[in-house]
Amino acid sequence: MWQTNLKVLAVVLGTLAVFTIVSSSIPQLQSVVPEDLSFSGDVTAEVLVAAGQTLFEGAGGCADCHGSGTRAPNLLADEAGTGLIGVRCASRVAGQDCKAYLYASLVDPNAYLVEGYVPIMADMSRTLSSEQLWALVAYLQSLGGEVTVTGADIESEGSGESTGAAVPASAAAAGPTSTSTDPVEIMTANACLACHIMDGAGAPIGPSFDGIGGRLSADYIRESILDPRAGASEGFGALIQLMPATFGEQLSAAQLEAIVQFLTDRR
Amino acid sequence: MNGARRWPVCLGGIGLVTLLTLVSPDGLLAQEISRSYGDFPLIGSRAAVWIAAQVHLLFAAFVLGVPMFAVVAEAIGIFGKDRKYDKLAKEFTRLLLVAYSATAIWGAVLSFLLVTLYPRLWVYLTQIFAPSMWVYAGLFFLESFTLYLYYYGWDRWAEGRAKMMHWGLGIMLNVFGTIVMFIANSWLTFMMSPPADVTPDTSPDMVQFWSAFANATWMPINIHRMIANVVFGGAIVGAYAAYRFLTAETDEERAHYDWMGYVGNLIAIGALIVLPFAGYYLGREIYEFSPGMGQTLMGGFMSWLWIIQAFLIGVLFLAGNYYLWVGMGRIPGAERFTPYTKYMLVVLVAGVIVWATPHTMIASRAEIAAMGGTYHPFLGVLGVMSAKNTAVNIMILTTFLSFLLYRRANKEPVVEWAKTGTMIQGVLFVVCAGIVIFYGIYGYFVTAIVRIGFSVYQVLAVIATIFSVLAIDIAIGRGAKSRGAIRWGQMPERSQYALFILAVTFTWLMGLMGYARSGIRQHWHVWEVVRDTSEFAATPALGYASQIISVCVLIFFGLVAFIFWVGGLAEKPVLSGVGSEGGD
Ligand code: HEC
Ligand code: HEC
Repeated sequence: MWQTNLKVLAVVLGTLAVFTIVSSSIPQLQSVVPEDLSFSGDVTAEVLVAAGQTLFEGAGGCADCHGSGTRAPNLLADEAGTGLIGVRCASRVAGQDCKAYLYASLVDPNAYLVEGYVPIMADMSRTLSSEQLWALVAYLQSLGGEVTVTGADIESEGSGESTGAAVPASAAAAGPTSTSTDPVEIMTANACLACHIMDGAGAPIGPSFDGIGGRLSADYIRESILDPRAGASEGFGALIQLMPATFGEQLSAAQLEAIVQFLTDRR
Repeated sequence: MNGARRWPVCLGGIGLVTLLTLVSPDGLLAQEISRSYGDFPLIGSRAAVWIAAQVHLLFAAFVLGVPMFAVVAEAIGIFGKDRKYDKLAKEFTRLLLVAYSATAIWGAVLSFLLVTLYPRLWVYLTQIFAPSMWVYAGLFFLESFTLYLYYYGWDRWAEGRAKMMHWGLGIMLNVFGTIVMFIANSWLTFMMSPPADVTPDTSPDMVQFWSAFANATWMPINIHRMIANVVFGGAIVGAYAAYRFLTAETDEERAHYDWMGYVGNLIAIGALIVLPFAGYYLGREIYEFSPGMGQTLMGGFMSWLWIIQAFLIGVLFLAGNYYLWVGMGRIPGAERFTPYTKYMLVVLVAGVIVWATPHTMIASRAEIAAMGGTYHPFLGVLGVMSAKNTAVNIMILTTFLSFLLYRRANKEPVVEWAKTGTMIQGVLFVVCAGIVIFYGIYGYFVTAIVRIGFSVYQVLAVIATIFSVLAIDIAIGRGAKSRGAIRWGQMPERSQYALFILAVTFTWLMGLMGYARSGIRQHWHVWEVVRDTSEFAATPALGYASQIISVCVLIFFGLVAFIFWVGGLAEKPVLSGVGSEGGD
């Protein structure tokens, strides 16, 4: 009896060991989490290209399609005699320069379909921020062409871009990083838009800030920020716990008043 | 009966789960969730939830798979007037009772861990799915009470109309169980393939319930899981029987458990044969939902996983066939077929090798650059889908042939056309293999879209062959003379260890595919909607995953062993005395 038990145990453990060892002896690849990028206005081309390359080979997932030949045009080498991507980009669509074409092929990939391929590429702006998109464009340009992406491109496209990376907790934990009394800056520093929507940016976890001044009085708004547990807004009862209750300590009186004033004015 | 002692455990487990599932978001008020993630000591939140979910799922698969064939076995007992199947069905069901409470307990553990470790995601999901969670809890109640009636009423409602009603209970048990699974599947498939109109900016209140519920991968997962559960249930029952066989004290017991192990294995392998088709369907839907996701799954960082999968399936095919071949030793007349087994072995091994050849393989970033982004020169020919489809179809055909020989072993057909019939069967086999190979080769000369169509022809050819050959075989077997009854129980012990390997491998494979399905979301809780911002956002590599999977499998088998041991303490199941009957 015990001998049988031991034998069974040995077979089970042995099988598990073989599977575990085999799985551990192949190349170990783990998925790459994209890093949030932020560039200053005078960012250099090298920085952009390097960031774009990392993204292209890793978290962007581009290489899964573009690295394997038949499913998507080759972006690292010549494609059907049209040259490297940094060169052919300029001649793909009449009237579109290289930069514009590459950007368009990321955010609206099916507008121009490279011949011989099916429209399987997704709109990358769904998952990538404007910084990331432009870094990719810069990298692709660098493959045979001249990098013309600058900090200005990123800024002009960059406002109000949401990557779905709503980060309520880390945002709430971040604490005040600014002593400014500019309401937008304070709200950015405290990541209010991680949970609230304003002008189309932010995440819809709490009530929208659009038109909030028309709905609520200054007193009520102040109260909501200082003591969010006091009363839930309609439709958010379950989420009342999400609004951090620590802003009363984090914000100076002047900052608080600046936000309250700002929000009250958003009718 | 020791059943009474088990009641409190079952009720406790069910109570826990129900309580939990009924916790509406408001119920969370008692708990601070001004944070998105909790911490779990030592192994971290991801591993904690992973293990809880996997072990829960293994038990759940078992309690969903076993009732399916318990009901079928009971029906064979009723309509075929064969008592031994009725006894078998009851013994299956006895295993269910205890497994059921384990399912509930692990479900409770999983829910608690989700609430405490992933509160933001939990709130998000409950906002969309709350009503279905209530229905889920209600059905869970219905399901468990149906199970109690089904098991404890077995001997009371044993005859006539009462027996039919009892069988009806078994069917209801399956219906409830299946709905419960479909509901739970909607939650996890939503995380994988949320409707296209749901974006990070969509408030969860605004998500249409039905479109979230019946999302793109919901049905494929439902079907895939249903079949896999049968495979899994069969394998575990097989392992249980193998253990009882090895520790049996009488010949009668040995005969009974030998037969039970055979049935379990047959169910497992039979259902395994259709599983790849469900797998293709699922894969196609994933690809259609998001080509990027499909591409990452097949050719991205997960590409190596398929080699491990092929390796495991190879182990399954080989162990399953080995068991059949060894089993021929207990069938008078089977000696005629033993020379063929070595050829079948060669075909199987060749099939495994082709199937395990990687397709698009991204070994390292440097390698992609080095290859200029094309196929690896050595992998190109064998690695593409054409070759793989061909290999797996041939392996299925071979396994089916093993089974046929096994069936035929002790029969001496009496019908006049037996010879012709057998020749027709042979021709069907050859034609089918020809079709499979023809399209396999032709597949190299056409575009991908056309090639996908080819795999359908291959599959259809195999299915048609299996059914027609089996039909002919049944007709040939009519009134066949027996070359001697199967000597149930006269089975070398090594064959039983093959059953253990089968069960462990199936379980491990389920863990692996679970990792694939949920890991493909990468740094998203809900694909491209709710981002994972925890320290565990990345999907870990296979080595780490394999350790977690092994731990889950160990926990599962440890608990199963304990449960069966406890169950066996007081009860000596009535044996069915198949030793003297024979037949399959
Ligand atoms: C699901 C597969 C897939 C993924 C993932 C993917 N692409 Fe594509 N891509 C395609 C296909 C197919 C085409 C050709 C058809 C078309 O023009 O849309 C294409 C075209 C392009 C083109 C135009 C190429 C040319 O020769 O004009 C660029 C540039 C590009 N992709 C960049 C990217 C980048 C950068 C990423 C990663 C952020 C990416 N792609 C991810 C499938 C994919
Ligand atoms: C972690 C997510 C989160 C963060 C970060 C957050 N809020 Fe909130 N907020 C909520 C939720 C959820 C509600 C709704 C529940 C309630 O009424 O308390 C809410 C409600 C409010 C309300 C009341 C709105 C109404 O219509 O009743 C105001 C005003 C508000 N928040 C301001 C802010 C400001 C200003 C910041 C940044 C300093 C901020 N919130 C940061 C989640 C958050």
